[in-house]
Amino acid sequence: MGAVITAEALTKRFRRPVKQAGLSGSLKHLVRPRYTEVTAVDEVDLSIEAGESVAYVGPNGAGKSTTIKLLCGIIVPSAGRVRVCDVEPHRHRSRNARNISVVFGQRTQLWWDIPVIESLRLIGDIYSVPAADYERNLAEMVDVLDLAPLLDVPVRQLSLGQRMRCDLAAALVHSPTVLFLDEPTIGLDVAVKAKLREFVGLMVRERGLTLMLTSHDLGDIEQLCPRLVMLHSGRVLYDGPYAELTRRFAWETKITSTLAAPPGGRPEEAAADILGVTRAELHDLTTLNVWFDMRVTTYGAVISGIVDRFAISDISVEEGDAEDVIRRLYSGDLKFSTEDVS
Amino acid sequence: MTGLRTHPLPKYLSIARVSAQEAIAYRFSTIVGVVTIFIWVLILYFLWQAAYAGTSSMAGYTWDDMRTYVVLAFGINAMVGWRVGYVMMATVRTGNVVIEYVRPLNYCLTQISRACGYCLVEGLVSLVMCLLVGITFVDIELPSSTASAFLFALSLVLGLLTKALFVFLVSLLAFWTVSGLGLMWMQQAVIQVFSGTIVPLSLMPDWLRSITSVLPLRGIVSTPLTFYLGKAEPLDAIGLLGMQVAWVVVLFVLANAAWRRAFDVAEIQGG
Ligand SMILES: Nc1ncnc2c1ncn2[C@@H]1O[C@H](COP(=O)(O)OP(=O)(O)OP(=O)(O)O)[C@@H](O)[C@H]1O
Ligand SMILES: [Mg+2]
Repeated sequence: MGAVITAEALTKRFRRPVKQAGLSGSLKHLVRPRYTEVTAVDEVDLSIEAGESVAYVGPNGAGKSTTIKLLCGIIVPSAGRVRVCDVEPHRHRSRNARNISVVFGQRTQLWWDIPVIESLRLIGDIYSVPAADYERNLAEMVDVLDLAPLLDVPVRQLSLGQRMRCDLAAALVHSPTVLFLDEPTIGLDVAVKAKLREFVGLMVRERGLTLMLTSHDLGDIEQLCPRLVMLHSGRVLYDGPYAELTRRFAWETKITSTLAAPPGGRPEEAAADILGVTRAELHDLTTLNVWFDMRVTTYGAVISGIVDRFAISDISVEEGDAEDVIRRLYSGDLKFSTEDVS
Repeated sequence: MTGLRTHPLPKYLSIARVSAQEAIAYRFSTIVGVVTIFIWVLILYFLWQAAYAGTSSMAGYTWDDMRTYVVLAFGINAMVGWRVGYVMMATVRTGNVVIEYVRPLNYCLTQISRACGYCLVEGLVSLVMCLLVGITFVDIELPSSTASAFLFALSLVLGLLTKALFVFLVSLLAFWTVSGLGLMWMQQAVIQVFSGTIVPLSLMPDWLRSITSVLPLRGIVSTPLTFYLGKAEPLDAIGLLGMQVAWVVVLFVLANAAWRRAFDVAEIQGG
């Protein structure tokens, strides 16, 4: 059947009222309302295959939740095309609802004042899940998520972590094809996070669930999603393997060597001669920093170049892992540049 | 672990069931809500008692009729209480409506089912209060005949649907305004006046009665009680019931259209 989720030039613009502060501002707005447009999702192209797990990341306000809402049919796109399981979500909302499930980390889909089991059963009824399937499915989830002690408790008496576990079970009662998780681990402790990830991973492997996950916790992504889509200001900046992110954005990396003795001559120039080195600096007489382009050379080649030229007592390399790259991208240390310089 | 079930329940029935459970979970506030309403019954009872001191009948209502009317009018009005509107509005305002939207459900029917569930519990409490107050204190009349009891029951159900739909429509305004509480108060007042809860339609001044008698809200209290007291000729009865049905249909169509529009216009808040 090919792609489960496709988006072509998917765009969502919000109209936001411009109000000046104070009462007079409000009055002015009443008389002549003015709006600015915010493009929350900007010509996004996506294609996700059945059974894939995709992380959707980007800084606050990048447009992640908006994309999820578009894919769920909760909001109508301003432009572009979108299909989920061959259904246009906003046109055929009910049909789409049978194929998908969504968990918003900061909302619950369970009824606040009644025992969890009643909410789960209600959801089973809403999707007309046959009784036998319901029981089997529930038994598995209760087992893996350790829900047994929680089932008879009203949701309002649950802790956040307990509630999230129940919410996740609620999302899978009707065995959806696609699962959207919008910041599922927000505010959870390490142990609960681990349990949730394990559960989601299991569901993806066993049931062939297609997963799309937004999170600011890179642990979620690293464990669950081989593929990563990065969004910034509504645009897709990167779409590819998680592991490749480093190569794409952090191709310049650093080796720090401690020299056995202060070098004579011009150590910076000597180091810059090594193939692929982009610059070098000497600090405190014996600390030599060398930056190089990972796309044209390797750690090994650069290190052997340094050892050839200097007497070294210690050497350390900068860990250029994806987590570090994402952190540096968000903080502005690395640029969200889209041109590929290889 | 989950009781013995061989089939899933029909979805709207299941929603009503869970809603009833919810109302039971909040039994204290449910009971307080209904009992508070009955304070009004006492106030009006004494007012009317004073008014009837010098006369035996007003606009066709004897003192016996009026006593019965006052108790039942508030009893009926308590059956779809504040909780429905409150819950509907809260889901819209907190953006939790998103969750209900990602379900294969008709949102309007969902809310009606919810109202029915609450109504089951609130109605039961209200019935107990009616009997308690009605028998021990006010001495209300029984339905005037079997036929009128039957018409009353039918009309009552239509009236409850009317009220639930009206409350739903008002709650949609929460998409545009921040003042949910204000809306709730306004809605309460409008329903009490135009349904005939406070004053029967036939005692209203002409201009008010001519408006009230064509509006849907009379179907909530006035019409069922007209049947209960046996004040409708057979031909009138058909007209009144027909009007109730017509209004339920119109309100349902309106509610669905308004819902779709409200949802499209006001983008969902937050997260
Ligand atoms: N209902 C709305 N009305 C107006 N603007 C909105 C609305 N919803 C979102 N936006 C704007 O769209 C942009 C994207 O928001 P979105 O919630 O998709 O971000 P996000 O990537 O999920 O961020 P976060 O990581 O903080 O959850 C933001 O600038 C936000 O202010
Ligand atoms: Mg978000």
